[in-house]
Amino acid sequence: MSAPAVEVEHLTKVFPLSWRKDYLVAVEDLSLTVNAGEVYGLIGPNGSGKSTTMKVVLGLMSATTGSTRVFGIESRDVRSRQQIGFLPENPYFYKHLTGWETLRFYGKLCGLRGRELKDRSNELLALVGLEDARDRRLGGYSKGMLQRIGLAQALVQRPRLVVLDEPTAGVDPIGSRQIRDLIFRLKEEGISVFLCSHLLEQVQEVCDRVGIIANGRMWKEGTLGDLIAIEDQTELVLENASPALLEKIQSLVKEEQGQAALVRTGHPRTTLERLFLDSVRESQEAKDKEDADEKAKAAETGD
Amino acid sequence: MSSSEPHDNLPPVPRFSPGRIWVLASSTFTQLVRMRIFYFLIVFAILVAGASNLDLLYTAAQKLRMLKDASFGAMSIFSWLFAIAATAVLIPRDLEDRTLYTILSKPVPRLEYLLGKLFGVLLTIGVALAVMYLLFTAFLFFREVTVLAEEKHYLENQPGLSPEDIAAQLAVVQAEGVDSSQFLALIAIFLQAAVVASLTMLVSTFASSTLFTMIVATLLFVVGHFHKLAAQYWQAEAGGSTIANLILKPIVLLIPDFRVFNISDKIIAGEAIAPGLMATMAGLAALYVAVYSAIALYLFIDKEF
Repeated sequence: MSAPAVEVEHLTKVFPLSWRKDYLVAVEDLSLTVNAGEVYGLIGPNGSGKSTTMKVVLGLMSATTGSTRVFGIESRDVRSRQQIGFLPENPYFYKHLTGWETLRFYGKLCGLRGRELKDRSNELLALVGLEDARDRRLGGYSKGMLQRIGLAQALVQRPRLVVLDEPTAGVDPIGSRQIRDLIFRLKEEGISVFLCSHLLEQVQEVCDRVGIIANGRMWKEGTLGDLIAIEDQTELVLENASPALLEKIQSLVKEEQGQAALVRTGHPRTTLERLFLDSVRESQEAKDKEDADEKAKAAETGD
Repeated sequence: MSSSEPHDNLPPVPRFSPGRIWVLASSTFTQLVRMRIFYFLIVFAILVAGASNLDLLYTAAQKLRMLKDASFGAMSIFSWLFAIAATAVLIPRDLEDRTLYTILSKPVPRLEYLLGKLFGVLLTIGVALAVMYLLFTAFLFFREVTVLAEEKHYLENQPGLSPEDIAAQLAVVQAEGVDSSQFLALIAIFLQAAVVASLTMLVSTFASSTLFTMIVATLLFVVGHFHKLAAQYWQAEAGGSTIANLILKPIVLLIPDFRVFNISDKIIAGEAIAPGLMATMAGLAALYVAVYSAIALYLFIDKEF
């Protein structure tokens, strides 16, 4: 069995605030797993700890406590990065390089050379639709084009895990759709995707599993189907049910004389957006309550 | 396989790769070239051309010496100014543009990133100095030929001068011409720039802005020209007190005496440079570059982005 693409175990990240004996807990006891070949979406409001988690996974930051691994290798180990392709939010690459040179630069950093690098660069330029702009410097690229060349550089060494931080930020609907299609394609090829996005509709569309992070903690996590199912309702899916059978079921429910009631027939699902907003609200209420409790305790002890 | 074990098919990633350093260095070189810093070479060419054509009331030898003074002065100023400005800009800009994220999320150890940037700056300075040196040598050579011809013509028309007298006077002029020892001055300028660049890189790993890096690095460079004198003076005044020693010793130790690299004046004046001095200078530069790079890595390795 292959190792999970990403393992985050009890990750806590604390930032000391300069010149004060104060600190900020950006991520608290967070655990998640991205299985090999899975598309995992991490969603949360601004400042919830998504980017910090990603940076720890990528080895750009170290964990205060806990651990993160990529295909079984500690994130701080440089070898783990051979398997990762990363596209940061609003990426700005070297403006003095052309699209072609950019791909060659990142490819060489990953150890590609010669014919292999040339073929891979051509293949990726075609994949992201930038063949016509290959010899143009990145200084003259539009935001959407930069995002696409960013995706191409992320894929240059054929990584087994692609980490995307807000991949469609500032991209027009057509570009956004292309990126969505590309994620589907990566999934088909068995590449794991770890995605951070504010676009819940997009996450709902492409992700196998979703984690909702708020105030640095994992609030809800699971497969999309489980998460958006309404727990106190039960769905019966019947095939070729006659009106008589449906009537019988309805009369059985009535005979029950309990709390059970037939609400409607159809597909009882909430939306990821509603779930997200509810989770953030619940998390904030819990945090407010914790803060209030702490203040009350401090007032009691006279601190 | 347990989830904590590395994957069997993992391609080997060398812990240290000169190839990756070269990729980063050549990219830095391209970046600086495309920032049009070599336009300075045009300014240099104009300066040297101007200095070689100045026909003030100088003697023939003085004309050549003035050309050498102006050229080596410009080379020195360009090299340290460029070492500070280019190095101070590179790393903070990568961070601001988030280019650093995309580089460090590839299998690139942080040591290699720092060395790549430093070598890129040094490669650019090396190429620029080489071009300037060639330009200077060409101008000096043509100026020497012209001045010698003029001087010969003038001396031959002077009454009472024997051929030996004329030859002796022409030899004085020739001594100010192209000389292989001038290459040593170029090496000294490059070594100084290497130390300044590594010092600036060290500052940029903890500085909060490019401007701060440039100001601090320039300040340290200036201090490096005077701290030995100041230390001698202060110790004489304070009578070698413990406090004076505690303050001065770390400064003198941490910042090199940049005057050591200033051998171009001696070379221009025709003084011989002992091979031992060049070896000491190279050793000192290597030591400071290594120490500054090691401290920069120590600060950079756990830096969080």
